[in-house]
Amino acid sequence: MTDESTKSSLILRKPLTRRSALKGLAGGLGAAAALGTAPGFVRYAQAASSAPIKIGFECHRTGIGAAYGRWYERTTNAAVKLINDAGGINGRQIQLIVEDDGTDAKRGTEVMEKFASEHKVDVVFGTLFSNVVIANGPTAGDLKMPYYVVSEGHQVAAGKMNRYVFQPGITDVKSQVMAMAPFITGNLGKKVTQIFPDYAFGYDHRDNLPPSIEKAGGKVVAQIAIPPTETSFTRYFPQIPSDTDVIYHVMVGPAVLTFVKEMGEFYGSKGPQLFGFIDSLEAVDMATPGLEFLDGSHFWEGSPRYLQANADEAQKFYRDHVGIDENGAAKGDPKDVSTAGHMFGCWETLYVIKKAMEDAGYQGPDDKKKLIEATEAMTAFAEGKEHPQGDKTFDGKTHQCFGHQNISQFKDKKLTVVHRTSIEDGMYPPEADYTTEKL
Amino acid sequence: MLGGLALLQAAPAFAHAGDSGFVLLLPTGYYLAGGAFAVALSFAILAAVPPGPLDRLAAWRMKLFSAPIEWRLLLSWISCAVFLALVAAGYWGSRDPLSNPLPLVFWTMLWGALAIVEGLVGDVWFWINPWYGPWRLLAALTGRKIAEQTDATLPGGLAYWPAAILFLAFAWLELVYPAPEDPGRLATILLVYYLANLLAALVFGYRAWMRHGECLSAFFLMISRLALLVGRDAGEGQTRDRPIDCALPGARLASAETLPPSGVVFLLLALSSVSFDGLSRTFAWLGFVGVNPLEFPGRSAVIGVNTAGLVGMAAALIGVFLLAVWLGQRLSGDAIPFRRATGALAWSIIPISLAYHIAHNLTEILVNSQYALAAISDPLAKGWDLFGTAGLHVHAGITAGYDSAWVIWNTQAAVIIAGHLLAVLVAHVVAWRLHGSGRKALLSQVPLALLMVFYTAFGLWLLASPTGA
Repeated sequence: MTDESTKSSLILRKPLTRRSALKGLAGGLGAAAALGTAPGFVRYAQAASSAPIKIGFECHRTGIGAAYGRWYERTTNAAVKLINDAGGINGRQIQLIVEDDGTDAKRGTEVMEKFASEHKVDVVFGTLFSNVVIANGPTAGDLKMPYYVVSEGHQVAAGKMNRYVFQPGITDVKSQVMAMAPFITGNLGKKVTQIFPDYAFGYDHRDNLPPSIEKAGGKVVAQIAIPPTETSFTRYFPQIPSDTDVIYHVMVGPAVLTFVKEMGEFYGSKGPQLFGFIDSLEAVDMATPGLEFLDGSHFWEGSPRYLQANADEAQKFYRDHVGIDENGAAKGDPKDVSTAGHMFGCWETLYVIKKAMEDAGYQGPDDKKKLIEATEAMTAFAEGKEHPQGDKTFDGKTHQCFGHQNISQFKDKKLTVVHRTSIEDGMYPPEADYTTEKL
Repeated sequence: MLGGLALLQAAPAFAHAGDSGFVLLLPTGYYLAGGAFAVALSFAILAAVPPGPLDRLAAWRMKLFSAPIEWRLLLSWISCAVFLALVAAGYWGSRDPLSNPLPLVFWTMLWGALAIVEGLVGDVWFWINPWYGPWRLLAALTGRKIAEQTDATLPGGLAYWPAAILFLAFAWLELVYPAPEDPGRLATILLVYYLANLLAALVFGYRAWMRHGECLSAFFLMISRLALLVGRDAGEGQTRDRPIDCALPGARLASAETLPPSGVVFLLLALSSVSFDGLSRTFAWLGFVGVNPLEFPGRSAVIGVNTAGLVGMAAALIGVFLLAVWLGQRLSGDAIPFRRATGALAWSIIPISLAYHIAHNLTEILVNSQYALAAISDPLAKGWDLFGTAGLHVHAGITAGYDSAWVIWNTQAAVIIAGHLLAVLVAHVVAWRLHGSGRKALLSQVPLALLMVFYTAFGLWLLASPTGA
C-alpha cells in the first residue's frame, strides 16, 4: 500500500456506508487534492476526466446469504472508497454497481448477463455461495467477463470453472481443512472423530481431513454424518468412540447452538478436545449463553474476529476502515457481529483487481484479455494494508490463492489466535491449468 | 473421484446460526401449549359471560375530532407524487434493493408497517391513497360522477373476486417470485398495477373498486376495522369534514356487513399467505419439498412447489374455516343460512391476520426501515443527502443475539396469542348477534374456537421452527 492510503485514513474515521463510498466517487477529486503530495495524485489528476472503471458487485443482498452480504457490502465499500480516495485504478475512479442475486443460482446468471449487457462493467466480483458461483462460472466464460469470486469453494482450483474465473482473495476450503491437520495431531490428539452435516459442505471436511490427519501421524476413528434437517443431536453422541481425543465438528445452520448445548450436556466438564470451523458460529456473538461448553476449544478462522494483542498496523487499518470494533462487531452496534472470518476476501480481491489492472495497463473492456493474463501472471501478495489477512501465494494456472490460516482458542468469551499455519500446510498439487484455455 | 464430485458441489455452509437458532434454545414448547390453553380457556370463560354487555362495549364510540376532508385530495396527490418519484428511483436509482428506496418503502414501509398502523391505529390509507387524486381529476375530465353511494359494489357478481385474484397475485409476487425486491422489475410491476387500477376505478367507480378490486386498499380497509380510530363515512366525493371517533379494538368487526363468499375467500387468503410465508421457510416445509434447508438453492428452484404451497395453504384454510362454521351450524341446530354465518364469522379472522402480519414482519421492519430511511435521502444514488439520513449506519444488531431473540420471540408470542384471544371474543359477539340465543351461539362457536386454538399453536410453531430459506 502506498502512502496515499495511510493519509486517507486520517480523513476517514466513520463506519463506511454505501453513500460514503459513493461520495468517495463523487468527491474523489477533493480527496485526491487533500492528499496533495501523494505520488499518485499527478497521475490521477491527469486522468480525472476519464470514465470510471465499473465493477459489478454481485451481492447476496437478500436470501439465505443476506447476513454475509451485508458485511461483504460494507467491506467492499470500505476498500472501494480507499482506492478511489487514493486516486482510483490507473487514474480512474471505481464505480461499484451492486446487484442482488437473492443468493439464488438462477438469478446469479441473470445478474451476470445484466452486468455484461446493461451495465457494461469491466469485471464482476464478490460472489460467495458456491452454488451461485458454480452456476455463474460458465456464463462468465461465455460472456468473456473477468469474474473474481470470494467464495472459498474448491470449484475454481478444481478446474471446474474457466479461464475467466479467479479466486485470488480467499483460500479454498480444501486448503483450509488440510492445513488444520498438523495442529490437531500435534496439540489436541491423534484420534479424531468427525461430526458433519450430511451434504456437500460436510463432505469437504469428510474427504479432505483424513488423509491430512494420517500424514500428520493421526487417525480419523469415526465419521458421523448428521442429516441437515436434524435439530436434536443427543442420539448421535453415543456413536463417538470412547477413545476419541478430538471431536472435529463443522455443524452449521440454526441448530448449531442446540448442538453445542447438547454436546455440553452429554460430556459435562470432561470430554474430548473440540475443534471446529468458525463457519458454524460466523456472525454469532461468542458470549451467547450455551456456548460456554466450547470454552477452551479451537476454531479455524480465515481472519481473526477479535482484535489480537499482536495485531499489526495493516490489520488495525483494515478493521478501522471496515468499521469493526475489537470484538469484530460493527462500531457502535456491538450486537451486529461481522463475518470477519471471510469478508476480508472482498477487500483483498479488490486490491488484486487493482494491481492486475495496473499491471495490464487496463484502459477498458478491450483490454480484458490483458487483464486475465496479468492476473494469471501474479505469483504472490505481500502482507500489508492491501492484504491485511496475511501474505499469499497465487497460482496463475489454477486461479487460486494459498495463504496462512488462523487457529484460535475460545476463552473468556473471546477467540485468541494460538497458531498460524504456514502457507505450505495448505498446499496441494495443482488440479487444473486454465492458461491452456483459449481466451 | 466420488469425493471430488462431492467437493465440486460443495457450498460453503453459510446457513446462519443466529436468530432462529437462538429461538431453538428457548422453551418454545411451553409457549405453544400455554398459548393454546389460554385461547381455549378464554372461550370457556366467555361461555359464562352474557354477550349483551360485550355487544354494548362493541357499540361504544367516543367522538374525537373532525378531519378536514380537503386534506384527502392534497395528501393523495402528494402520495401519488411520492409514488412516481419512487418508481423513478426504481428505474434510475441504485440496483441494490437495500439502497434503493422503492423496494424498501413498498415492501417494508407500506406492506409491512402501514398494514400494522391500519390495524392498530386507523385507516390512514383513506387519506393517502395515491389513486384518489388522479381518479378525481380523470373523473372530472371524463364527466363521471364523483359522489357515489356508500354501499358501492362491483357489478355482475364480481363482488370481491377481483381483490381476491389480485391479492393472490400479490402474495405470489411477495413469497414465490424470485426477485420481488429488484428495483427495476418492481418499478414496472407497480407502475402497471397503478395504471390498471386507476383505469378500473374510472370504470367501476373509485369507492367500489378500492373496496372490492384493488387488493391493498381492500385489505387495508378490512384490517382497519380492528383499529382504535374510526372515520365516519359519508360516501364518496363528500364535502363535509370527516368525523373521527374512538372505538375499542376489534369492536367494529362485530357490526361489519356480512361478507359474500368472495369476501370470505379474500380475507382468508390474507391470513393463509402470511402463514405460508412462515411455513415456506421452515425445515419442515423444505424437507417436505426435498430441499436441504442448509443449502437452500434460491427461490428460482422452488417456484413450482411454493406456488402449489401458497394455493394449497389458502385452500386448506378456507376448507377448515368453512367446515368449522358448518359444524357449528349443525351443533347449534339453527336455521341461519350457511352463507350468512360464514360471511359474518369471517371477520373474527381479522385479528389473527394482523397478529400474523406483525409477528412475521417485525424483524424486517426493525432493520429495513433503517435502510429505507437512508435510501430516501439519496434515491437516485447520486451522493445526495436530502433529509440528512443518507449516511445513517444501519444498526442490524437490533434484531441479533440471544437477548434480542428472547424479546422478539416473546413479543411475537404475545401478539399471536392476543390476536387469537380477540378473535374468540369477536366470534362470540358475532355469533350472539347471529343466533340471538346464548346457548345456540355458544354451541355454534365450539368448532371455530377449536380451530383458533389449533391456529394459535400453529402460529407459534411457525415462529419457533428452525428456518432455512
